[in-house]
Formats: sequence, C-alpha cells, structure tokens
Amino acid sequence: MLLSIFNVLVFPGLLFLGAYSFVLEFVDRKVYARMQSRKGPPWYQPLADMLKLIGKKVIVPRNAQKFLFAALPTVSLAAVCAAFLCVPVWGATAVTAYQGDLVAVLYLLTIPTLCHFLAGYNSHEVYSTIGAFRTLTQMFAYEVPLFMAFLSPAILAGTWSISGIAAFYAVHPLYTLINLPVFIVSLLTSQSKLERMPFDAPEAETEIVGGALVEYSGRYLAYFRGTAIAELTAIASVLAALYLPFFTGIAWLDFVLYLAKTFVIVLMMVLLRATMARIRIDQTLKFFWSILTPIAMLQMIVNLLLRGGLGL
Amino acid sequence: MSDRNQNERNNKVVVPIGPQHPSLKEPGSFKITLDGEKVERAVVEIGYNHRGIEKACESRNYIQALYIIERVCGICSHAHTLCFCQAFEELAGLEVPRRAHYIRGIVGELERLHSHLLWLGVAAHEIGFDTLFMYTWRDRELVLDLLARIGGNRVNYGVNTYGGVRRDLEPELMQDILHVCDLLEEKLKYYADLALTETTLIARLKGIGVLTPDDVRKYSAVGPVARAAGIEGDVRVAEPYGVFKEIAVNVITDDHCDVYGRTLVRVKEMLEAIRLIRIMVAQIPEGPISVRAPRKLPVGEVLSRVEAPRGEDIHYIRSTGTDMPDRVRVRAPTEANWHGMSHMLEGFQLADVPIIIAAIDPCYSCTDRAIHLIGDGINQLTDWAQIRALSIEQYKSRGIDPGSIKVREF
Amino acid sequence: MNTEETILALNKRFPALEATSARPLRIFTAFAAPEEFEKTLQYAFSKLDYHKGKHIVGTDEGENIGLSYILSNDENVLLVLRERVPKSAPHVRSMGELFPSLMLHEREMVDLFGVQVSGLPEGPNYPLPDGWPEGEYPLRKEWNPAYFNKQTMTYEPPKEEDAK
Repeated sequence: MLLSIFNVLVFPGLLFLGAYSFVLEFVDRKVYARMQSRKGPPWYQPLADMLKLIGKKVIVPRNAQKFLFAALPTVSLAAVCAAFLCVPVWGATAVTAYQGDLVAVLYLLTIPTLCHFLAGYNSHEVYSTIGAFRTLTQMFAYEVPLFMAFLSPAILAGTWSISGIAAFYAVHPLYTLINLPVFIVSLLTSQSKLERMPFDAPEAETEIVGGALVEYSGRYLAYFRGTAIAELTAIASVLAALYLPFFTGIAWLDFVLYLAKTFVIVLMMVLLRATMARIRIDQTLKFFWSILTPIAMLQMIVNLLLRGGLGL
Repeated sequence: MSDRNQNERNNKVVVPIGPQHPSLKEPGSFKITLDGEKVERAVVEIGYNHRGIEKACESRNYIQALYIIERVCGICSHAHTLCFCQAFEELAGLEVPRRAHYIRGIVGELERLHSHLLWLGVAAHEIGFDTLFMYTWRDRELVLDLLARIGGNRVNYGVNTYGGVRRDLEPELMQDILHVCDLLEEKLKYYADLALTETTLIARLKGIGVLTPDDVRKYSAVGPVARAAGIEGDVRVAEPYGVFKEIAVNVITDDHCDVYGRTLVRVKEMLEAIRLIRIMVAQIPEGPISVRAPRKLPVGEVLSRVEAPRGEDIHYIRSTGTDMPDRVRVRAPTEANWHGMSHMLEGFQLADVPIIIAAIDPCYSCTDRAIHLIGDGINQLTDWAQIRALSIEQYKSRGIDPGSIKVREF
Repeated sequence: MNTEETILALNKRFPALEATSARPLRIFTAFAAPEEFEKTLQYAFSKLDYHKGKHIVGTDEGENIGLSYILSNDENVLLVLRERVPKSAPHVRSMGELFPSLMLHEREMVDLFGVQVSGLPEGPNYPLPDGWPEGEYPLRKEWNPAYFNKQTMTYEPPKEEDAK
C-alpha cells in the first residue's frame, strides 16, 4: 500500500514526471538552439520559467467564466499525470497496467487538447477564438491517424496493454521492423498533437499572437505549460514502449534504457521542429488525411493479416 | 456598430493586426475581416511612424538636412543619403570623383546585401521557420561588421557627403570585404537551394500575395515586388548613376508574381550584389574621395533617383538660393508598394497575412517620415563611453555585472 | 516616347506649359490652373502613355499652394505636371481614376497642406494622427512646429502684442 503511494507520488509518478519533464524540455530547447547555431538556455531554465510563471499575477478577462478559466489548466495537467501512470518506465511494468490501458492513455491525452480549445473559446477574444478553433481543426486532422498508428503495434502484439505490448516486442524484437512506417506516422501525429513545429498553426505567434492561451497568465499559464511538457514526456514514453522495446531484464538497466529511448525520440522530434516551416491549417488537414491516414490504415490491415498469418 | 453586428450575423470576425502585433516590426494597422480563415476585406492604415522630416529639413541648412535624411530609415540609410547628395550635386553642378562613386557603390551593394538578408530572416520568422531566421541573421552580422568598420556604425553609416564620400577604404578593408563576399556566397547558394527545394517553405510561399503584371502597372509597384512579376525595372539600368555608368547590372526578374517569386528575386539579387562588389573592389581607381561643396545652392529644383534595396527611391529638392532647402520631398520605395496591399491580402487566408505584408519588405519609417520631434527634458550630448557606463550602472542596480564584457574596438 | 519627343508633343499641344528639360529623363513644366492641368494630365496619360504615377510634391507658394504630379512612362522619363490653387480656396479634383497609386499622396496633401481634394474615396486620414486639430496644416510655411503643444494637441502661436 505504501509502495503504491510511493509509486504514484514519487517514482515513477508525479515527482519523477515533473523532474523528467523539465529535463526533456531542457534537451528540447538546447538541441533546438544548437541546431540554429545559438547558445541555448542553461539546464535550470524550464524550472526557472515555471517558478517565475507561478509567481505572476493572474488576470481573468471580464467575459470569461471564472470557474472554467481556473479549472481547465488543472484538469488538463491532472489528465496527463494520470496517463503517465500507465506507461512502463522500468522494464515492461508500469504503476498500473491493465488490458486496454493503451486506449485509456490515448483518451486521457485528448483531454488536454479539449481543455486547450475550451480555454481559448472561454476567453472570448479574437485571437484566442481563432487559436481554439485551429486546435480543434487540427484535432480532426490528426486524431484518426494517431489512433490508427498507435493501435497498429497493439494489433500485431495481440494485447491492448502498453506493458503487454512492450513485453511482446521484447520477446520478438524483429517484428518491430514491420511497424516502421507507422512509427513515422506516430511521430508526425504526436508532433501535431503537441502542437509543435511544423504543426503549430494553433499557436502561431506571428499570426494570432498566442493562440488559445493568449489571455492566460500566472499560475494557470504555468499549469498549461506544465501540461505541454508533461505531454511530451508521456508521449515520448509511450512511443518508446511501443516501438523501441529492448529490455535486459535488470530493473535499473531497463530504467537507464528507458531514459535513453525517450531521449532519442525527443531528439527526433527536435529535428522535425528545427528543419521545417509552419504549415497552414488547411495544408495540415490535407497532409494528414491524404497521406498519413492511408499509410496507417494500410499498416493496420497488414498487421491484422500478419497476426492471423503468423498464428501468434 | 451596425457593421459589427452585420459581421456577427454573417459569422465574420474582424482581426486587428497592429498597430502592435508580433508579426509587425513597425506599427501599422491592418483590420482583416475574416470569413472562417479566409480574408474577405483588408483595411490598411499607416502613418504611425510619421516624424515631420520634410518640415524639419526646411528649417535646417543642407548639412543638417543630410543627417536627417539619413535617419529616414535605418536599413536603407545609404540609399537615401546617396539620392539626396546626388540631387544636391546635380543642382550645384559638382563633379564627384570616380573613387567616391566606387566607394558609394560598394557601400550601396553591401547595404543591399544586409537588407535582403534581414528580409529573408523576417520572412522566415513570419512563416514560422525560425531556423532560417537565425541562420540569415547570423550571416548578416558579417555584413554589419564590415559596414561598422567602413562607416563607424552598423546602421546610419554616414559615408556620403556632398561632393563625395567621407571615409576611404584601406586595402586590408577591401581584402576583408572580398573575404566576406566569399563566405556569404557559399551561404547564399545554400539559401537559394533551400528556397528551391524545401517543401514546407514552398508550400507556404507559393501562390499567395499575387500581383500580376497588370496589377503592378495599376498600383505602381517598384523594386523586387515588380521584378517578381517579370517587369524589368531597375534604376541602375534605366538611369545609370554613379558607378553604374561604368559597370552593367544584371536585372533579376522572375515570373511567379507571388511571394515565392519575391523571395527568389531577393536571393538572386544578393548573389548579383556580391558579383558587383567584387568587380568594384577590383576596379576601384585611386584618387580623391570628395570635392568641395558650396554651402548655398543656386535657385532651381531637381529630382533624383536611386535603386534602394526596396525599389526606386525619388528625392526632390527645391532651392531659393539660400543655404536652407525650400522644399524637400522624399518618395521612398515602400510608399509605392503600399497601394496594392489591400488587393494582395484579399482572398487569401489569415495565416498568409503576415508573410504577404512582409513580402513587400515594408519600411514603415521610410513611408511615414513624420513624428513629433519632441525635446522636453534634458538635451545633452553623450558619447559611447558614457552611454556604456550608464547602462552598466543600470544593470548593476538589478544585480547583474556586465562590466567584465569586453567591447570590440572598431 | 523619350524626353525630346515628349517635350515637342507637349509644347505643341499646350504651349503655355513651357515644358523644359535641363537633362535627359527630366521634364519640368510651369504651374497651371486646375482645369488646364487636368486636361494636360489626361493627355499625358492617354496619348503620351505616362501611366505611372510616381509622386505628388506639395509646395507652399506664398499666396497659393502648388501641387506637382510626377509621372513616368515605360522609358523612365520623369514628367512633372503642376497645378496651382489659392490658399483661400484650395479645391482640386482627385486624379485617382487615372492614377490609383497617387491617392495616398493626395490624402497627404489634404492633411499636410489643407488642400480640399474632391473625389477621394472614404478612408482614414494620412499621415497625421486621429486627434489632430482641424485647420492646422503643418507643411504650410507659416506653421511653426515649435508652437505646437503635444500634450494638448493645440497650436499656440505667440500673440502679436508679445512680439512687439
């Protein structure tokens, strides 16, 4: 019982999630800067930013519903933290693992996007409304390929639990190569979900100033920022578990492997971020629906056939 | 009010871009009426940077007026002083020495380089391509360092004077100019390649902000905006001035008629500028760098024009025989490019608005030229060392000590 | 049509203009009354193909206000056609149908010189700010920027008695 509380609150629960999110955020910003031949921030920058934001004054717009304004950031942060509990951090075991937790995680991760949209709509301001609607439009674009891409390895593995999938691929590592196309699809849809370049039309600074969160300040903005970086960690962990399952069986070594794998995934995301321009929202829709969705669908069919064919 | 209700009933939103907005480098107001993401109507209002320059010139003598004209714009300051000096020299009948023409030409082409690099970075930032923004501005530092060595300042370099130039170029400086040209040429070839092959860049820039050759004619656009529609208009060829009487310029045109075409034109113009600088440095003659200029101009009026980085720059001076101009009038190139702005914005999406505005390379300061020159408060002259000491004091009071940072001497 | 041809054509048709050229690619003409000016402009636009409107220079000529329209054609000749109106009744018509690009400069004339240009479409003032007092025209020679109070946005010239 005590161990469970420790797991949920400290490791690999909230405290670990918080600390590791700051580390990954730092890696993201530092590598991005170095790719642009800039110096980049020092290691404590994400923590410093968060602390600074928490200390600032909160201004609530007159037309916004106060309760909703305050509740949305908290709810979205809570959802991401809950999602992280199902991700295997050392070896193939997570804090809570059950059949269907992959789907649960994906649904939990949709909540921050919806909160983002509601936050923008609630602010009743031109730029935030446009940003909110773009968030929703982008969700329509990436949601289908995202689900299909994340569920393809599950189909091949025959289990709906992330830890189960990780364990399966640990035993049959060569089957991971079959999932290569859908790995790329997952990366792109995750990049879109996190609203990072090249898919950050909902938060286009030069067009709509700050997007949906334009009216947010102080600790509420801090929670939303926290959600963003925690989401990065959660998605990187899920991707690592689904597509890079190499285990040694020794607990602490698996933990180090986990750190290495998420590091690699974040590096790939930073590369995407640094080398492309921001594409328009209609171009995003076209790209996701006409290119990524067919690939993901094809992969799902292939995996289904393989599963039957290989008699797993 | 009824307009707004009308908009709400039709589900249309009016987005104000400006006067204060992250995408605008200088203030200007664009009220965009949106239908979904599509721009239905754009109302363009400028005038926020009006500084009273023309009136100020009327109450100052020609030497003082030159300083004011230089500060019409930070980025194209050399073009403005060149045009003004040319007008003065034409009215006074001065024959500027050849070496001065060459130095003016070199500085002018360096200015074209740094202005276009700045534009490339800003355009990249507008479409969200921050990496390109950082790269081009890093390369721009090379040019700005050269300009600082030539003129003493990174912008407003004060090289021109009536009758010639004020500073000479030593041989090592010219070697360094050639060296920087070599470095930049590699990087520019990379950017040209990028512009032709990077998919997201092309997707964002192609097909938007279209200005057909008929539109260019109707709205009197100049500079790269006109050249991107295939129209060969360049003052250096139409009315050669200074060093361009001896050196021929290749006019760069493109047929795309859109923002992508303007990008290509500017990148190729940078490569052309490097070629011209190399020729000028190789052929620069020895000799004096200026002739004596009179204080008073004879009675008369004169129109002068040069090819600034943004297009054709026209200056008008009228003199009544004294040492103060009677009327000074500046037609900066951006002024000509504004007229087509509403036309260019309508029909495209909100996401395209910042890049369309940026694509004419707007210099609001050149356009408006009138602010209140207010002087209430202390009027004192401070030099570089004092200003630095003041700013170090400021930072120390906030707990940071920048005093240990070494300042590079020019 | 190059410089010499333009001058010949203009002087033949409008001898009162006294079109002169001190150097290639520049043609200056004399001030004319608004009606004459409009005819000349129409002629230059349609018959001589001066379709590019480059600029308008407003000048304070003491009793009158002068407007000099700078036009250009495909051969890059700069032609200056001018009209003059009395300061007490500065009414001109906009040349916007022929030269849409000059409308912005006509607005400048309205704001800075107090010229009343009829036929301009609805639009914001340019370039002066919205709170600018009526009747103050900065580019007229008698207007001195030192007497303008920025805080209250009013022009306060010294009284005649104080000057004595």
